[in-house]
Amino acid sequence: MDHFPTNWGRPRNDAFDAYGTHPIHQRPYNGPKDAFADGVQHTQQPIVTGTSVLAIKYKDGIMMAADNLASYGSLARFKDVQRLCPVGQYTVIGAGGDMSDFQYIQHIMEELTIDENSAQDGHELGPVEIHEYMSQVMYARRSKMDPLWNSLIIGGFKDGKRFLSYVDLLGTTYSASTLATGYGSYIAQPLLRKAVEGYEDILTEEDARKVLENSMRVLFYRDARSLNKYQIATITSAGVNISDSLHLETSWSFAEGIRGYGAQTQ
Amino acid sequence: MPDMAALAHPQQRQFNPYSENGGTILAIAGADFSVIAGDTRQSEGYSIQTRYAPKVFRLTDRAVLAVNGFAADGNMFVKKVKQRLEWYRHAHAKDMPLRAIARLIQTMLYARRFFPYYVYNILGGIEEDGTGAVYSFDPVGSYEREACRAAGAASSLVQPFLDNQIYFKNQRPAAGTSHPAHLPLPTVLSIVIDSFTSATERHIEVGDGLEMYVVLAKGRTLQGLEGIRGMQELTATEDGERVFIVRRDLKRD
Amino acid sequence: MNTFVQRFAESSATKQILAGNASVVEDDDFSDAAWGSEAGFGSLAKGVPSFMIPSVPDPASFLRLHTDDHADPSCRIKIQHGTTTLAFRFQGGVIVAVDSRATAGSYVASGTVKKVIEINPYLLGTMAGGAADCQYWETYLGMHCRLHELRNRERISVSAASKYLSNLVYSYKGMGLSMGTMICGWDKTGPAVFYVDSDGTRLKGDLFSVGSGSTFAYGVLDQGYRWDLTDAEAQELGRRSIYAAGHRDAFSGNTCNLYHVKENGWEFIGNYDITSLHYDGPGNVAGSPGHGYGYELRVEGHSASNPPPEVAQAITAEA
Repeated sequence: MDHFPTNWGRPRNDAFDAYGTHPIHQRPYNGPKDAFADGVQHTQQPIVTGTSVLAIKYKDGIMMAADNLASYGSLARFKDVQRLCPVGQYTVIGAGGDMSDFQYIQHIMEELTIDENSAQDGHELGPVEIHEYMSQVMYARRSKMDPLWNSLIIGGFKDGKRFLSYVDLLGTTYSASTLATGYGSYIAQPLLRKAVEGYEDILTEEDARKVLENSMRVLFYRDARSLNKYQIATITSAGVNISDSLHLETSWSFAEGIRGYGAQTQ
Repeated sequence: MPDMAALAHPQQRQFNPYSENGGTILAIAGADFSVIAGDTRQSEGYSIQTRYAPKVFRLTDRAVLAVNGFAADGNMFVKKVKQRLEWYRHAHAKDMPLRAIARLIQTMLYARRFFPYYVYNILGGIEEDGTGAVYSFDPVGSYEREACRAAGAASSLVQPFLDNQIYFKNQRPAAGTSHPAHLPLPTVLSIVIDSFTSATERHIEVGDGLEMYVVLAKGRTLQGLEGIRGMQELTATEDGERVFIVRRDLKRD
Repeated sequence: MNTFVQRFAESSATKQILAGNASVVEDDDFSDAAWGSEAGFGSLAKGVPSFMIPSVPDPASFLRLHTDDHADPSCRIKIQHGTTTLAFRFQGGVIVAVDSRATAGSYVASGTVKKVIEINPYLLGTMAGGAADCQYWETYLGMHCRLHELRNRERISVSAASKYLSNLVYSYKGMGLSMGTMICGWDKTGPAVFYVDSDGTRLKGDLFSVGSGSTFAYGVLDQGYRWDLTDAEAQELGRRSIYAAGHRDAFSGNTCNLYHVKENGWEFIGNYDITSLHYDGPGNVAGSPGHGYGYELRVEGHSASNPPPEVAQAITAEA
């Protein structure tokens, strides 16, 4: 075996000949050959992508926001996609990342709800169950090295309880009173935390809407893959409501005042 | 912020199934008790994902497991351990002994030798002989019974402190005295709290909240635990070992 | 009973392992065994261990990508390594001595590792390389040694046990296992030591040392080794060799664990702190020189940095 002291406990690298015993740099590969090696290359990369999803807790339940853009690289390709999707009567899933994977997720959610509904056993899927289900799906796919390339926020309201939680392509999960994916986690999350943490039971629907609208605007100013057309979802004791597309009022006059970086240095 | 170097070569991107979610865990065994603790911050890079994501879990009335590393692997691993312990309960009508849980965890980790769980485990609790025990594991299942162990982001800050305070490493007792073999519970709890407040000061991935589980051997008194602020009992069965949790705030900056 | 024997029949172990690797997608279908007492060795429920393999074209390079901190210091999963272990055969049996340090990079991850694995009352295995690999497979070997006893009504020979292990690790060759171990025991042939490593190498010999500190240990071992060593002399030689490695090799140290395998099985001789060995020696034990191993003692009074006691006192008084 490899007796070179510091290599102990490490997987050996047969491509590297530590003692120079073999004249060829690249040693011949005698292992099994897989003609379809390229065919089993699961892992792709996101192609048509959505950017941030925002979500907060407020007095009556959960409010979520996402814009209507699906980008193709830097191209603003589809400008009327819905990235907030109701599941059952109590839950909304918001998705960032690959939109085709999100459509597949919507598909399995639909199958799941149909199955559950046709059972007619008096059980209904709430946000807790849907989040658990999705986190298992996401983790299983990452373990197959074939991930669903999304960051999902799952918000819901059932039996008088608010629920807000996150799951991503690695299967990582967490919950908090404010959540944001993608650039939102850097740009909007601090704004949301300042407005929401400690006020979860005080914030009215109007307040919450204002907080999200403002955060979406800040994102639109700085996130080059965002759009000023977005939707807001509320999940309360009254059920799920996803708004029509809303338009962000923006003002660019402040840009005149920016100095000190980019092409404009004076 | 996203790694700009990686964005420059999007075609080169290879899916990395692992991440690192920070935090620190710690366990100390006493003569007839065991303390297992962890902070509650979950982070990725410089972002705090949540201020409350537990890393320490009650398995049975005499076993508590702390997991640290990649959160998704950790949660899945704990879920599978709990499932196996429940099957054991159905088959044998009793809880699995601590040393058996330790061996179970070894084989479960080793079953993923070629696609490891990126998780550092520390198992604490009470052995069948009534002594406090701590078992620590590496990600692929090598394990050892110890008196104390810290793992995770700030392990290299906390472990030397424990070597000093628990093992009295490199210290000579005053003439005519000797170092105690086991410390009393209130002392251990103070050491745990100090470890985490200090780690919070010096490590960015540690903070927000502290959860300390205390497992007491059968028939023992609370040993000074009764007056502790924020204590809650989690024991599920009667006449056996008892499990308590003590929660504390840590700095959130 | 038949199913029990069948499950552990090792006739085509490698074949089954490979078949298991191909078909098993973790533990989604459990045999009844997982419910009962075998819950501990659940991954063996199908008769042979089954391992989840990442579905990538080259699993070994995947493992290296995530666990090889030598090639990439920022890799996340750091497997513990660094060691000195030794074992030698002599007229009184086998001496097994190891250090107790585990390192991850330059961090001393543990100073209390048990690197002698007690396979059964007659067999010892040593640990170098991946700690989990050694612990797991030598425990597994222990199960098979017991089954051999049940089938054949006699203890397994050290030769057979070591061959079982070497065949087993050979079937995983190239997958990333890393172990360098000595299987030590006493059988019908007398004391025996076999070196087995993860390449599949298996060597019979009188004297082996494995690990990053092995060169230092060999230095002391070779010059003190004789077949007709007394028990006390042999134990002292093992202790002294591990001390030398612990003293000079940064990846070895903390304490020395010493075992002696005799005709009626192994015996744990003791645990010795390397620092105490340096200054005070092993204490009141067989073979002890009665003083520290460090050479300060032997140069006392011969250098300015280590002056005779009277001179030292005078210097202190002057200051």
